[in-house]
Amino acid sequence: MKIVVCIKQVPATTADKRYEADLTLDRASVETVINPLDEYAIEQALRLADAGTVDEVAYLSMGPEQASEALRRALAMGGDAAYLVTDAALSGADEWATAKVLAAALDKLAPDVALMGMASDDARGSLVPGAVAAMRNLPLLSYGAELRLEDSVARIRRLNASGHDIVEAPLPVVASVTDQVGEPRYASLKGIMAAKRKPLETWALSDIGLSADELQGGALTKVTSAEPPQAKPPTERIENAPPEEAATRIADWLAARKLI
Amino acid sequence: MSNDIAFLAEFADGTPQRSALELAAGAAQLAAQSGGAAVALAYGAGAAGGAANVGAQRAVVLGDEDRPAVTYAAAAAEAARDALVLLAPATPNGRDIAAVVMGRLNVPAFGPVSEVDLDGQTLTAKQATLQGSVITASQPVDGAATPSVVLVLANTFTPAEGNADTADVSQAPAVADDPLGTAKVVESHAEEQAAVNLEEATVIVAGGRGVGGAEGFETLQELASALGGAVGASRAAADAGWVPYQLQIGQTGKVVKPSLYLGVGISGAIQHRVGMQTAEHVVAINKDPDAPIGEFADLFVVADLFSVVPKLTEEIKRRKGV
Ligand SMILES: Cc1cc2nc3c(=O)[nH]c(=O)nc-3n(C[C@H](O)[C@H](O)[C@H](O)COP(=O)(O)OP(=O)(O)OC[C@H]3O[C@@H](n4cnc5c(N)ncnc54)[C@H](O)[C@@H]3O)c2cc1C
Repeated sequence: MKIVVCIKQVPATTADKRYEADLTLDRASVETVINPLDEYAIEQALRLADAGTVDEVAYLSMGPEQASEALRRALAMGGDAAYLVTDAALSGADEWATAKVLAAALDKLAPDVALMGMASDDARGSLVPGAVAAMRNLPLLSYGAELRLEDSVARIRRLNASGHDIVEAPLPVVASVTDQVGEPRYASLKGIMAAKRKPLETWALSDIGLSADELQGGALTKVTSAEPPQAKPPTERIENAPPEEAATRIADWLAARKLI
Repeated sequence: MSNDIAFLAEFADGTPQRSALELAAGAAQLAAQSGGAAVALAYGAGAAGGAANVGAQRAVVLGDEDRPAVTYAAAAAEAARDALVLLAPATPNGRDIAAVVMGRLNVPAFGPVSEVDLDGQTLTAKQATLQGSVITASQPVDGAATPSVVLVLANTFTPAEGNADTADVSQAPAVADDPLGTAKVVESHAEEQAAVNLEEATVIVAGGRGVGGAEGFETLQELASALGGAVGASRAAADAGWVPYQLQIGQTGKVVKPSLYLGVGISGAIQHRVGMQTAEHVVAINKDPDAPIGEFADLFVVADLFSVVPKLTEEIKRRKGV
């Protein structure tokens, strides 16, 4: 059984981020990490490998050449091989173009499970897993708190309105998991050394059978303006007040805004 | 292409979800701008019986069974093919369908948005990106296919009052050879604590690690009840098992947009903040004067929650005369 985990390199959660004059994200100047939610997908895949359910874990990323760092970091956590799709035609790719590229690369890698994090830190549509499933004409099992595999089926545990469901689909599938799968492991020193010798292939669009034309310029959406959020009035503070007084002042504040 | 505005209308247990009614209101607004009709794409248990009354001019029933929402996605894409815009709720189910529509039809997708506008046929979607540090406006590129798919946050539109018009209802044709339709629920487990639908609450009292345990959450429940609201939580509180994960707010929990969010014993980590930053009013009670939530709250109360919350509950009950 083979899993390919799709990962994205993103600006660190704490990094100071900004847009360039052309309204694309300035990615060169900030510290980058593996998208934190993708680490849970990596952890889930490695747990299945540790349990012997999966024999091969590979990673796939679309991004600039520096995204190979993220793939090396993933390989240091575990797994066998990594693939980076990088191409000048992909700068400014939106979720649709990302899905298109990942789908084509996954067709080539043909895993039993294409696994992703439930969302990316820097664009929160959560649309890539479902779009990849649609493009590859495969079932989708999304938002799994856990992924389980058997001979010919995959199952996820997924929250519902009042509890959880076990949802099943026949392999091969596209799946996404949440941060409930368990805390991602740290790379050991041994892992970091081993990662340097693991295969990491770089592909251009032509290597996965796509042309720049098919990507319609890399995006179906365009950012037309980027502004800081509307400035809010400064925070009002209630400090060093006895509990009764604090309660009265909060109630006054709520009443003034017709919230009670 | 038509000027119609389609929207997902999810049903469960025979009734439309609140998201269906909110999106119906949004679709009606946009349809007035585009000169088209609001079209409900109804799915889930009770959809066939209820589709006529969600507030659309036309309704297409994708299916009437209680099965995973994604199994209706291919039919949704086919039914939305001629629409100008498709509105989907920014919930896991809504996103699953929206994603499939984007991938199957190769159309642009936006969101989650808290504002969407049409100028004639040109769509503009506004959303918070980069953990809320930037508000971007986006449009489809020139020549992009339709519909534009838009994920909409709960409480963005207000359902219309009174009886909705009766829509003309039709049945969506079955989609042949659809692997997405093979997903099925093989087991269902209900948790003891029945969870409320947090996205629908207009007042949320959210508790974090500082609340200290399940008993502390009972105190918050009393405050929430006095305010006519619901209880939410941080991941730390859900991880500790004090509340079910259905109540978690944040990046990996619910994204909420209440008129009042009252955070109690919550530090305000970025992953929590992205789930509540569009709340209209933010009040925080925290004993740490330097807690990050103090930087973005409208009212920051530096105090021990265990002494203030019961007093606040009393005071609110007194003013409401109950
Ligand atoms: C990938 C990822 C996803 C995540 N997703 C989410 C998410 O969706 N939602 C989420 O909430 N978190 C999420 N987190 C976790 C997040 O980073 C924080 O760890 C979490 O939000 C902290 O919860 P907290 O504020 O309850 O706890 P803490 O940060 O421990 O804060 C507790 C607060 O309570 C205050 N306090 C303690 N006692 C009292 C008292 N007696 N009276 C008043 N105040 C008191 C303290 O001063 C402190 O500020 C995520 C993290 C990661 C890495």
